[in-house]
Amino acid sequence: MSAAGAARREGTELAGDDPARLATVSLETAARGGRPPACAIVDASVHVRPRSQAEFRAYLPRLWKTRRLPSGDGYYYPNPAGNHLRETYSDAGPPGSDPDLLHRHLITDGGVDRVVLHPLTLGLLPDIDLLGAVCSATNAWLADTWLGPTHDRFHGTIRVAPGDPVAAVAEIERWAAHPGFVQVGVPMQSLQPYGKRQFWPVWEAAAAHGLPVCVHADAETGVEHAPTPAGYLHTHFGHAAVAPFMFVNHLTSLMTEGVLDHLPGLRVVFADGGFDLLGPMMWRLDKDYRAMRVDMPWMTRLPSEYLAEQVRFVAHRMDGPDDAAVAGEWLSMVDADRLLVYGSNYPNWDFLPPGLVYPDAAAEARERILHGNATRLYELDRGETA
Amino acid sequence: MTERVVCATEDLPPGSRVVVSVDRIEIGVFNIGGELVAIRNRCPHAGAPMCDGLLTGTVVSDGPQQRRWAHDGEILRCPWHGWEFKLPEGRSLVDPPYLLSTYEVRVLDGQVLVDTASGRGTRTRAEART
Ligand code: FES
Repeated sequence: MSAAGAARREGTELAGDDPARLATVSLETAARGGRPPACAIVDASVHVRPRSQAEFRAYLPRLWKTRRLPSGDGYYYPNPAGNHLRETYSDAGPPGSDPDLLHRHLITDGGVDRVVLHPLTLGLLPDIDLLGAVCSATNAWLADTWLGPTHDRFHGTIRVAPGDPVAAVAEIERWAAHPGFVQVGVPMQSLQPYGKRQFWPVWEAAAAHGLPVCVHADAETGVEHAPTPAGYLHTHFGHAAVAPFMFVNHLTSLMTEGVLDHLPGLRVVFADGGFDLLGPMMWRLDKDYRAMRVDMPWMTRLPSEYLAEQVRFVAHRMDGPDDAAVAGEWLSMVDADRLLVYGSNYPNWDFLPPGLVYPDAAAEARERILHGNATRLYELDRGETA
Repeated sequence: MTERVVCATEDLPPGSRVVVSVDRIEIGVFNIGGELVAIRNRCPHAGAPMCDGLLTGTVVSDGPQQRRWAHDGEILRCPWHGWEFKLPEGRSLVDPPYLLSTYEVRVLDGQVLVDTASGRGTRTRAEART
Protein backbone atom coordinates (compact mmCIF):
# COMPACT_ATOMS: atom_id res chain seq x y z
CA MET A 1 0.00 0.00 0.00
CA SER A 2 1.22 3.52 -0.75
CA ALA A 3 2.13 5.88 2.05
CA ALA A 4 -0.76 8.11 1.13
CA GLY A 5 -3.14 5.20 1.36
CA ALA A 6 -1.83 4.26 4.80
CA ALA A 7 -2.26 7.78 5.98
CA ARG A 8 -5.86 7.86 4.79
CA ARG A 9 -6.61 4.64 6.52
CA GLU A 10 -5.27 6.01 9.82
CA GLY A 11 -7.26 9.18 9.39
CA THR A 12 -4.19 11.40 9.51
CA GLU A 13 -2.92 14.03 7.18
CA LEU A 14 0.66 13.64 6.12
CA ALA A 15 2.11 17.07 5.89
CA GLY A 16 5.51 15.99 4.67
CA ASP A 17 8.00 18.73 5.27
CA ASP A 18 5.62 21.58 4.46
CA PRO A 19 5.91 23.70 7.62
CA ALA A 20 2.67 25.55 6.89
CA ARG A 21 0.73 22.31 6.97
CA LEU A 22 2.49 21.20 10.16
CA ALA A 23 1.39 24.36 11.95
CA THR A 24 -1.23 23.37 14.50
CA VAL A 25 -2.05 26.78 15.89
CA SER A 26 -4.26 29.18 13.97
CA LEU A 27 -3.81 32.88 14.53
CA GLU A 28 -7.40 33.68 13.64
CA THR A 29 -8.81 31.11 16.01
CA ALA A 30 -6.42 32.01 18.82
CA ALA A 31 -7.14 35.71 18.44
CA ARG A 32 -10.81 35.19 19.19
CA GLY A 33 -10.00 33.81 22.65
CA GLY A 34 -10.49 35.47 25.98
CA ARG A 35 -11.85 38.88 26.86
CA PRO A 36 -10.84 41.73 24.56
CA PRO A 37 -9.28 44.52 26.60
CA ALA A 38 -10.85 47.96 26.68
CA CYS A 39 -7.50 49.75 26.66
CA ALA A 40 -4.93 50.56 23.99
CA ILE A 41 -2.39 47.79 23.48
CA VAL A 42 1.38 47.63 23.09
CA ASP A 43 2.78 44.32 21.87
CA ALA A 44 6.35 44.30 23.20
CA SER A 45 7.60 41.08 21.65
CA VAL A 46 7.15 40.41 17.96
CA HIS A 47 9.68 38.58 15.84
CA VAL A 48 10.54 39.54 12.31
CA ARG A 49 13.01 38.21 9.79
CA PRO A 50 14.13 38.96 6.24
CA ARG A 51 12.09 37.59 3.36
CA SER A 52 15.13 35.88 1.94
CA GLN A 53 18.85 35.45 2.28
CA ALA A 54 19.22 37.92 -0.59
CA GLU A 55 17.22 40.58 1.21
CA PHE A 56 19.47 40.18 4.23
CA ARG A 57 22.79 39.86 2.42
CA ALA A 58 22.25 43.22 0.77
CA TYR A 59 23.08 44.70 4.19
CA LEU A 60 26.28 42.74 4.79
CA PRO A 61 29.55 44.39 3.79
CA ARG A 62 31.45 42.81 0.89
CA LEU A 63 33.75 41.05 3.35
CA TRP A 64 30.89 38.92 4.59
CA LYS A 65 28.40 39.11 1.73
CA THR A 66 29.33 35.81 0.16
CA ARG A 67 30.14 33.97 3.37
CA ARG A 68 27.95 31.07 4.37
CA LEU A 69 25.85 31.78 7.42
CA PRO A 70 24.81 29.06 9.84
CA SER A 71 21.12 28.29 9.67
CA GLY A 72 20.65 28.96 13.36
CA ASP A 73 18.64 25.85 13.84
CA GLY A 74 21.14 23.73 15.59
CA TYR A 75 17.89 23.53 17.47
CA TYR A 76 17.42 19.95 18.46
CA TYR A 77 13.84 20.23 19.56
CA PRO A 78 11.27 20.28 16.79
CA ASN A 79 8.02 21.57 18.16
CA PRO A 80 5.20 19.06 17.68
CA ALA A 81 2.79 21.96 17.07
CA GLY A 82 4.97 23.45 14.35
CA ASN A 83 7.02 26.53 15.02
CA HIS A 84 4.74 29.23 13.67
CA LEU A 85 1.14 30.26 13.34
CA ARG A 86 -0.62 28.77 10.34
CA GLU A 87 -1.61 32.10 8.77
CA THR A 88 1.88 33.57 8.98
CA TYR A 89 3.21 31.40 6.17
CA SER A 90 3.06 33.08 2.82
CA ASP A 91 4.58 32.67 -0.60
CA ALA A 92 6.33 36.01 -0.21
CA GLY A 93 8.57 34.82 2.62
CA PRO A 94 8.82 33.04 5.95
CA PRO A 95 6.63 33.90 8.96
CA GLY A 96 7.23 37.42 10.23
CA SER A 97 8.87 38.68 7.05
CA ASP A 98 6.05 40.69 5.48
CA PRO A 99 5.38 44.11 7.06
CA ASP A 100 1.93 44.42 5.47
CA LEU A 101 0.80 40.98 6.58
CA LEU A 102 2.11 41.58 10.09
CA HIS A 103 0.38 44.96 10.19
CA ARG A 104 -2.88 43.35 9.19
CA HIS A 105 -2.59 40.46 11.66
CA LEU A 106 -1.61 42.50 14.70
CA ILE A 107 -2.79 46.06 14.15
CA THR A 108 -5.69 46.12 11.68
CA ASP A 109 -7.32 42.86 12.76
CA GLY A 110 -5.64 42.35 16.14
CA GLY A 111 -6.39 45.74 17.67
CA VAL A 112 -2.80 46.42 18.76
CA ASP A 113 -1.61 50.04 18.65
CA ARG A 114 2.13 49.68 18.82
CA VAL A 115 4.49 46.82 18.18
CA VAL A 116 8.06 46.35 19.35
CA LEU A 117 9.89 44.31 16.73
CA HIS A 118 12.67 42.03 17.84
CA PRO A 119 14.57 40.17 15.13
CA LEU A 120 17.04 37.54 16.28
CA THR A 121 20.67 37.27 15.20
CA LEU A 122 21.86 33.65 15.21
CA GLY A 123 22.61 33.53 18.94
CA LEU A 124 26.32 33.05 19.48
CA LEU A 125 28.71 32.36 16.62
CA PRO A 126 32.28 31.12 16.92
CA ASP A 127 33.41 34.00 14.70
CA ILE A 128 32.58 37.07 16.78
CA ASP A 129 33.36 39.40 13.84
CA LEU A 130 30.83 37.63 11.67
CA LEU A 131 28.31 37.82 14.50
CA GLY A 132 28.94 41.56 14.80
CA ALA A 133 28.36 41.93 11.06
CA VAL A 134 25.12 39.96 11.32
CA CYS A 135 23.92 42.26 14.12
CA SER A 136 24.84 45.41 12.17
CA ALA A 137 23.18 44.13 9.01
CA THR A 138 20.07 43.14 10.95
CA ASN A 139 19.77 46.61 12.43
CA ALA A 140 20.24 48.34 9.07
CA TRP A 141 17.75 45.96 7.46
CA LEU A 142 15.21 46.53 10.22
CA ALA A 143 15.55 50.31 9.97
CA ASP A 144 15.06 50.23 6.19
CA THR A 145 12.36 47.61 5.95
CA TRP A 146 10.25 48.05 9.07
CA LEU A 147 10.90 51.40 10.72
CA GLY A 148 10.19 54.85 9.41
CA PRO A 149 7.28 57.01 8.35
CA THR A 150 5.28 54.32 6.57
CA HIS A 151 5.36 52.09 9.62
CA ASP A 152 5.00 54.49 12.52
CA ARG A 153 3.37 51.83 14.73
CA PHE A 154 6.51 49.69 14.58
CA HIS A 155 9.40 50.17 16.99
CA GLY A 156 12.73 48.42 16.70
CA THR A 157 15.40 46.60 18.68
CA ILE A 158 19.12 47.26 18.27
CA ARG A 159 20.67 43.81 18.16
CA VAL A 160 24.16 43.51 19.63
CA ALA A 161 26.54 40.70 20.58
CA PRO A 162 27.70 41.40 24.15
CA GLY A 163 30.53 38.89 23.75
CA ASP A 164 32.33 41.67 21.84
CA PRO A 165 31.64 44.67 24.08
CA VAL A 166 33.55 47.15 21.91
CA ALA A 167 31.53 46.29 18.80
CA ALA A 168 28.31 46.14 20.82
CA VAL A 169 28.84 49.65 22.21
CA ALA A 170 29.65 50.97 18.72
CA GLU A 171 26.44 49.45 17.40
CA ILE A 172 24.38 51.06 20.16
CA GLU A 173 26.02 54.42 19.43
CA ARG A 174 25.27 53.99 15.75
CA TRP A 175 21.52 53.62 16.23
CA ALA A 176 20.68 55.27 19.53
CA ALA A 177 19.61 58.55 17.92
CA HIS A 178 17.34 56.80 15.39
CA PRO A 179 13.80 57.43 16.63
CA GLY A 180 12.60 54.00 15.52
CA PHE A 181 14.71 51.99 17.98
CA VAL A 182 13.43 51.65 21.52
CA GLN A 183 15.60 48.94 23.06
CA VAL A 184 18.80 46.93 22.81
CA GLY A 185 18.38 43.19 22.25
CA VAL A 186 20.80 40.49 23.39
CA PRO A 187 20.65 36.69 23.27
CA MET A 188 19.64 34.78 26.36
CA GLN A 189 22.50 32.44 25.50
CA SER A 190 25.81 33.65 26.83
CA LEU A 191 29.05 32.03 27.88
CA GLN A 192 29.07 34.19 31.03
CA PRO A 193 26.23 35.58 33.13
CA TYR A 194 25.42 39.14 32.16
CA GLY A 195 26.49 40.77 35.42
CA LYS A 196 30.18 40.10 34.67
CA ARG A 197 32.40 43.13 34.35
CA GLN A 198 33.28 42.49 30.72
CA PHE A 199 29.68 43.34 29.78
CA TRP A 200 29.43 46.58 31.75
CA PRO A 201 30.37 48.90 28.86
CA VAL A 202 27.39 47.53 26.90
CA TRP A 203 24.93 48.10 29.72
CA GLU A 204 26.46 51.55 30.36
CA ALA A 205 25.89 52.52 26.73
CA ALA A 206 22.29 51.30 26.78
CA ALA A 207 21.57 53.12 30.04
CA ALA A 208 23.24 56.30 28.81
CA HIS A 209 20.80 56.37 25.90
CA GLY A 210 17.80 55.38 27.99
CA LEU A 211 17.40 52.13 26.05
CA PRO A 212 16.14 49.09 27.96
CA VAL A 213 18.10 45.88 27.40
CA CYS A 214 15.90 42.99 26.30
CA VAL A 215 17.14 39.43 26.86
CA HIS A 216 15.53 36.91 24.52
CA ALA A 217 16.30 33.31 23.60
CA ASP A 218 18.07 33.30 20.26
CA ALA A 219 18.99 30.72 17.68
CA GLU A 220 21.39 27.94 18.60
CA THR A 221 24.41 27.27 16.47
CA GLY A 222 26.28 24.80 18.63
CA VAL A 223 28.78 27.06 20.39
CA GLU A 224 26.64 27.93 23.39
CA HIS A 225 26.52 26.06 26.68
CA ALA A 226 24.21 23.06 26.89
CA PRO A 227 20.69 24.21 27.79
CA THR A 228 21.03 22.75 31.27
CA PRO A 229 24.27 22.18 33.21
CA ALA A 230 23.34 18.49 33.20
CA GLY A 231 22.98 18.40 29.43
CA TYR A 232 20.04 17.98 27.12
CA LEU A 233 16.46 17.09 27.88
CA HIS A 234 14.52 14.78 25.65
CA THR A 235 11.87 16.91 23.99
CA HIS A 236 10.81 20.42 23.10
CA PHE A 237 8.48 20.32 26.07
CA GLY A 238 11.30 19.73 28.53
CA HIS A 239 13.59 22.18 26.78
CA ALA A 240 11.02 24.97 26.85
CA ALA A 241 10.23 24.26 30.50
CA VAL A 242 13.80 24.67 31.73
CA ALA A 243 15.05 27.38 29.35
CA PRO A 244 13.68 30.24 31.50
CA PHE A 245 16.12 29.36 34.27
CA MET A 246 18.68 31.27 32.21
CA PHE A 247 16.84 34.47 33.09
CA VAL A 248 17.26 33.68 36.75
CA ASN A 249 20.99 33.29 36.12
CA HIS A 250 21.32 36.61 34.32
CA LEU A 251 19.11 38.51 36.74
CA THR A 252 20.89 37.17 39.80
CA SER A 253 24.22 38.04 38.22
CA LEU A 254 23.11 41.59 37.35
CA MET A 255 22.05 42.07 40.96
CA THR A 256 24.92 40.45 42.80
CA GLU A 257 27.71 41.86 40.66
CA GLY A 258 26.40 45.36 41.16
CA VAL A 259 25.18 46.30 37.68
CA LEU A 260 21.76 47.44 38.88
CA ASP A 261 23.37 49.64 41.54
CA HIS A 262 25.99 51.03 39.21
CA LEU A 263 23.36 51.90 36.59
CA PRO A 264 20.15 52.97 38.31
CA GLY A 265 18.80 54.05 34.91
CA LEU A 266 19.29 50.62 33.37
CA ARG A 267 16.10 48.71 32.56
CA VAL A 268 16.30 45.00 31.83
CA VAL A 269 13.49 43.15 30.10
CA PHE A 270 13.33 39.38 30.17
CA ALA A 271 11.30 38.48 27.15
CA ASP A 272 11.05 34.74 27.11
CA GLY A 273 9.49 33.44 30.29
CA GLY A 274 10.75 33.07 33.82
CA PHE A 275 8.29 35.38 35.52
CA ASP A 276 6.67 32.50 37.34
CA LEU A 277 10.06 31.62 38.87
CA LEU A 278 10.51 35.11 40.21
CA GLY A 279 8.55 34.86 43.48
CA PRO A 280 10.37 31.92 45.04
CA MET A 281 13.66 33.17 43.63
CA MET A 282 13.21 36.53 45.33
CA TRP A 283 12.33 34.90 48.64
CA ARG A 284 15.54 32.96 48.37
CA LEU A 285 17.70 35.90 47.31
CA ASP A 286 16.31 38.23 49.96
CA LYS A 287 16.84 35.67 52.67
CA ASP A 288 20.39 34.79 51.72
CA TYR A 289 21.36 38.37 50.90
CA ARG A 290 20.76 39.31 54.52
CA ALA A 291 23.23 36.70 55.69
CA MET A 292 25.80 37.38 52.98
CA ARG A 293 25.57 41.07 52.17
CA VAL A 294 29.18 41.45 53.17
CA ASP A 295 30.22 39.81 49.88
CA MET A 296 28.21 42.28 47.77
CA PRO A 297 28.78 45.57 49.57
CA TRP A 298 27.75 47.47 46.43
CA MET A 299 24.20 46.18 46.74
CA THR A 300 22.20 48.94 48.38
CA ARG A 301 18.89 47.16 48.73
CA LEU A 302 17.27 43.78 49.03
CA PRO A 303 17.29 41.89 45.73
CA SER A 304 13.50 42.04 45.41
CA GLU A 305 13.61 45.83 45.77
CA TYR A 306 15.39 46.32 42.45
CA LEU A 307 12.57 44.76 40.46
CA ALA A 308 9.95 47.48 40.48
CA GLU A 309 12.26 50.12 39.04
CA GLN A 310 14.66 48.18 36.87
CA VAL A 311 13.29 44.84 35.73
CA ARG A 312 10.40 43.81 33.53
CA PHE A 313 9.19 40.52 32.13
CA VAL A 314 7.28 39.99 28.91
CA ALA A 315 4.06 38.12 29.52
CA HIS A 316 3.53 35.76 26.68
CA ARG A 317 3.81 32.30 28.13
CA MET A 318 1.11 32.93 30.72
CA ASP A 319 2.88 30.67 33.16
CA GLY A 320 1.27 30.55 36.56
CA PRO A 321 -1.50 28.76 38.41
CA ASP A 322 -4.33 27.28 36.34
CA ASP A 323 -7.00 28.05 38.89
CA ALA A 324 -8.28 31.60 38.32
CA ALA A 325 -8.84 32.19 42.03
CA VAL A 326 -5.28 31.21 42.93
CA ALA A 327 -3.92 33.08 39.92
CA GLY A 328 -5.35 36.37 41.11
CA GLU A 329 -3.70 36.02 44.50
CA TRP A 330 -0.42 34.98 42.95
CA LEU A 331 -0.39 37.89 40.52
CA SER A 332 -0.81 40.43 43.27
CA MET A 333 1.81 38.68 45.39
CA VAL A 334 4.44 38.98 42.66
CA ASP A 335 3.57 42.53 41.60
CA ALA A 336 2.57 41.31 38.16
CA ASP A 337 0.73 44.46 37.21
CA ARG A 338 3.94 46.45 37.62
CA LEU A 339 6.51 43.97 36.31
CA LEU A 340 4.79 42.51 33.27
CA VAL A 341 4.54 43.92 29.78
CA TYR A 342 2.40 42.20 27.19
CA GLY A 343 4.13 40.55 24.24
CA SER A 344 2.45 38.20 21.79
CA ASN A 345 5.53 36.36 20.51
CA TYR A 346 4.03 36.58 17.00
CA PRO A 347 4.53 34.74 14.64
CA ASN A 348 5.49 31.85 16.87
CA TRP A 349 3.17 29.02 17.71
CA ASP A 350 2.76 30.15 21.32
CA PHE A 351 1.24 33.46 20.18
CA LEU A 352 -0.69 35.18 22.96
CA PRO A 353 -3.59 37.35 21.82
CA PRO A 354 -4.40 40.37 24.02
CA GLY A 355 -7.76 38.91 24.99
CA LEU A 356 -6.05 36.05 26.82
CA VAL A 357 -3.88 38.29 28.98
CA TYR A 358 -5.20 37.66 32.49
CA PRO A 359 -8.82 38.00 31.40
CA ASP A 360 -10.01 37.80 35.00
CA ALA A 361 -7.69 40.50 36.34
CA ALA A 362 -8.97 43.95 37.29
CA ALA A 363 -9.22 46.45 34.45
CA GLU A 364 -6.42 48.69 35.76
CA ALA A 365 -4.05 45.76 36.14
CA ARG A 366 -4.77 44.65 32.59
CA GLU A 367 -4.27 48.20 31.35
CA ARG A 368 -0.83 48.35 32.93
CA ILE A 369 0.23 45.00 31.53
CA LEU A 370 -1.21 45.57 28.06
CA HIS A 371 -0.32 49.22 27.67
CA GLY A 372 0.89 51.39 30.53
CA ASN A 373 4.01 49.51 31.60
CA ALA A 374 5.39 49.22 28.07
CA THR A 375 4.47 52.80 27.22
CA ARG A 376 6.52 54.02 30.17
CA LEU A 377 9.34 51.53 29.64
CA TYR A 378 9.84 52.51 26.01
CA GLU A 379 8.66 56.10 26.41
CA LEU A 380 6.23 55.51 23.57
CA ASP A 381 4.14 58.53 24.48
CA ARG A 382 7.08 60.91 24.08
CA GLY A 383 5.99 62.06 20.64
CA GLU A 384 2.31 62.29 21.56
CA THR A 385 2.62 64.52 24.59
CA ALA A 386 5.12 66.85 22.92
CA MET B 1 13.76 54.77 89.18
CA THR B 2 14.43 52.25 86.48
CA GLU B 3 18.24 52.42 86.45
CA ARG B 4 19.88 49.17 87.41
CA VAL B 5 23.49 48.30 88.15
CA VAL B 6 24.88 45.94 85.55
CA CYS B 7 28.43 45.50 86.79
CA ALA B 8 31.48 47.39 87.99
CA THR B 9 33.31 49.32 85.29
CA GLU B 10 36.45 47.24 85.80
CA ASP B 11 34.48 44.15 84.82
CA LEU B 12 33.73 45.70 81.43
CA PRO B 13 37.04 46.61 79.80
CA PRO B 14 37.15 47.76 76.14
CA GLY B 15 36.32 44.91 73.78
CA SER B 16 34.28 42.98 76.34
CA ARG B 17 30.59 42.48 77.01
CA VAL B 18 28.39 41.65 79.97
CA VAL B 19 24.93 40.12 79.81
CA VAL B 20 22.56 40.45 82.74
CA SER B 21 18.91 39.83 83.46
CA VAL B 22 17.24 42.88 84.97
CA ASP B 23 13.52 43.40 85.46
CA ARG B 24 13.01 40.14 83.54
CA ILE B 25 14.76 41.57 80.49
CA GLU B 26 18.08 40.27 79.26
CA ILE B 27 20.35 43.15 78.46
CA GLY B 28 23.89 43.07 77.14
CA VAL B 29 26.35 45.91 77.60
CA PHE B 30 29.28 46.21 75.19
CA ASN B 31 32.37 48.28 75.72
CA ILE B 32 33.37 49.36 72.22
CA GLY B 33 36.67 51.15 72.55
CA GLY B 34 35.49 52.96 75.67
CA GLU B 35 31.95 53.66 74.51
CA LEU B 36 29.27 51.66 76.30
CA VAL B 37 26.34 50.30 74.30
CA ALA B 38 23.42 48.45 75.87
CA ILE B 39 21.11 46.30 73.79
CA ARG B 40 18.32 43.87 74.44
CA ASN B 41 19.55 40.30 74.07
CA ARG B 42 17.07 39.58 71.34
CA CYS B 43 17.45 39.79 67.57
CA PRO B 44 14.58 41.67 65.91
CA HIS B 45 14.55 39.14 63.08
CA ALA B 46 13.62 35.95 64.86
CA GLY B 47 14.60 36.36 68.48
CA ALA B 48 18.13 34.97 68.66
CA PRO B 49 20.24 35.80 71.75
CA MET B 50 21.95 38.71 70.07
CA CYS B 51 24.69 39.06 72.65
CA ASP B 52 26.12 35.69 71.62
CA GLY B 53 26.91 37.31 68.28
CA LEU B 54 30.33 38.04 66.89
CA LEU B 55 31.48 41.65 67.19
CA THR B 56 33.44 42.36 64.05
CA GLY B 57 33.74 44.72 61.12
CA THR B 58 32.29 44.57 57.67
CA VAL B 59 32.88 45.34 54.01
CA VAL B 60 31.49 48.49 52.40
CA SER B 61 31.67 49.80 48.85
CA ASP B 62 32.72 53.31 47.85
CA GLY B 63 31.86 52.78 44.19
CA PRO B 64 31.34 50.20 41.49
CA GLN B 65 33.39 47.07 42.06
CA GLN B 66 35.05 48.56 45.16
CA ARG B 67 35.36 46.83 48.53
CA ARG B 68 36.75 48.22 51.76
CA TRP B 69 36.91 46.92 55.33
CA ALA B 70 35.04 49.26 57.65
CA HIS B 71 33.37 49.70 61.05
CA ASP B 72 35.89 47.43 62.72
CA GLY B 73 34.55 46.26 66.08
CA GLU B 74 31.17 47.94 65.57
CA ILE B 75 29.28 45.24 63.69
CA LEU B 76 27.35 42.71 65.73
CA ARG B 77 26.41 39.65 63.69
CA CYS B 78 23.43 37.65 64.82
CA PRO B 79 24.36 34.12 65.91
CA TRP B 80 21.37 32.61 64.12
CA HIS B 81 21.17 33.98 60.57
CA GLY B 82 24.19 36.21 60.42
CA TRP B 83 22.46 39.55 59.89
CA GLU B 84 24.72 42.50 60.56
CA PHE B 85 23.75 45.26 63.02
CA LYS B 86 25.83 48.35 63.42
CA LEU B 87 26.47 49.63 66.93
CA PRO B 88 25.90 51.92 68.71
CA GLU B 89 22.62 52.69 66.90
CA GLY B 90 21.70 49.04 66.31
CA ARG B 91 20.57 49.53 62.73
CA SER B 92 20.59 46.46 60.47
CA LEU B 93 22.92 46.83 57.50
CA VAL B 94 21.12 44.14 55.56
CA ASP B 95 17.51 45.23 55.96
CA PRO B 96 17.48 48.72 57.48
CA PRO B 97 13.95 48.74 58.91
CA TYR B 98 15.21 46.29 61.50
CA LEU B 99 16.69 47.88 64.61
CA LEU B 100 18.04 46.37 67.81
CA SER B 101 16.48 47.56 71.04
CA THR B 102 19.00 49.83 72.74
CA TYR B 103 19.02 51.24 76.26
CA GLU B 104 20.49 54.29 77.91
CA VAL B 105 23.66 53.37 79.77
CA ARG B 106 26.04 55.44 81.92
CA VAL B 107 28.78 55.14 84.48
CA LEU B 108 28.28 56.41 88.04
CA ASP B 109 30.72 55.89 90.90
CA GLY B 110 32.50 53.02 89.17
CA GLN B 111 29.25 51.24 88.30
CA VAL B 112 27.69 50.64 84.92
CA LEU B 113 24.00 51.63 85.02
CA VAL B 114 21.31 50.77 82.48
CA ASP B 115 17.88 52.42 82.38
CA THR B 116 15.62 49.46 81.76
CA ALA B 117 12.67 51.68 80.87
CA SER B 118 14.55 53.44 78.10
CA GLY B 119 14.51 50.59 75.59
CA ARG B 120 13.35 51.62 72.17
CA GLY B 121 11.04 48.86 71.02
CA THR B 122 12.45 46.26 68.70
CA ARG B 123 11.34 47.14 65.23
CA THR B 124 10.51 44.72 62.52
CA ARG B 125 9.95 45.40 58.87
CA ALA B 126 6.21 45.24 59.38
CA GLU B 127 6.33 47.72 62.28
CA ALA B 128 8.56 50.07 60.37
CA ARG B 129 6.04 50.18 57.53
CA THR B 130 3.17 51.31 59.77
S1 FES C 1 17.41 35.76 64.45
FE1 FES C 1 18.93 37.18 64.14
S2 FES C 1 19.28 37.14 62.02
FE2 FES C 1 17.69 35.75 62.32
